[in-house]
Amino acid sequence: MIKVRIPTPLRPLTRGQGEVETKGGSVAEMIDHLEGMHPGLKARLCDEKGELRRFVNVYVNEEDIRFLKGKDTVLKDGDEVSIVPAIAGG
Amino acid sequence: MLKIPQDILDAMVSHARELAPHECCGLLGGSDDLVTQLYRIKNVVALEGAETVTHFDESKVAHLQLLSPEERAEIAFVMDAHEQALALKDMRAKGIRLQAVYHSHPVSPARPSLTDIKNATEFDVIREKLNLPKPLYLIISLQDRVNPDLRVYTIQNHQAVSAEFRAV
Ligand SMILES: [Zn+2]
Repeated sequence: MIKVRIPTPLRPLTRGQGEVETKGGSVAEMIDHLEGMHPGLKARLCDEKGELRRFVNVYVNEEDIRFLKGKDTVLKDGDEVSIVPAIAGG
Repeated sequence: MLKIPQDILDAMVSHARELAPHECCGLLGGSDDLVTQLYRIKNVVALEGAETVTHFDESKVAHLQLLSPEERAEIAFVMDAHEQALALKDMRAKGIRLQAVYHSHPVSPARPSLTDIKNATEFDVIREKLNLPKPLYLIISLQDRVNPDLRVYTIQNHQAVSAEFRAV
């Protein structure tokens, strides 16, 4: 099992859950799997080409996937994924 | 107390002035309370959907959606996640740590807005889990065009507290 932390703005899509569980595979597969359970999530995270949007980071454990293998980063049992909005303010 | 070299203070004011009326944003890295590195980060609030993934409250999202993409950066910032990640990676490579997050208020005082406080509070929760240091928040106000006002705050638990810094 992989644990995925969902940031507050996306929790309306996960019925309020701050943490969801998913299967292993690559990050791209994990996002597809999440989309199957929580429709609408993928479009918030990825653009039409499936690339991660420029205002969101995905961490596996404490490492940004942009510095691992991006969407092809392979998740293993027990990994913790964090979806983290970029720093923002007004 | 955070010590910021005068040239880095000047560089932040230049950044704010270059982007006005849009908000600029960036990160300061350093060690032992001394800032040694400034990272300008692109403000991508105008990108489609940016306001819906960030910790903006409903009224802020509604306000942003009333504006054209070009106007959105006048009232908010969202860091380019890739540039943000690169800056944090560069800090690690240099053996320095995140000291502060800065952004500008082109027409309002150098006080954290409710949006600033909310976003910083949310970031505080996650950054602990990701082993990122706790930053100070620096705001550059251009309300007085001749005399920009720079102020530093700590923000946590929905509270902003004024902090001090020294130009060195
Ligand atoms: Zn602000």
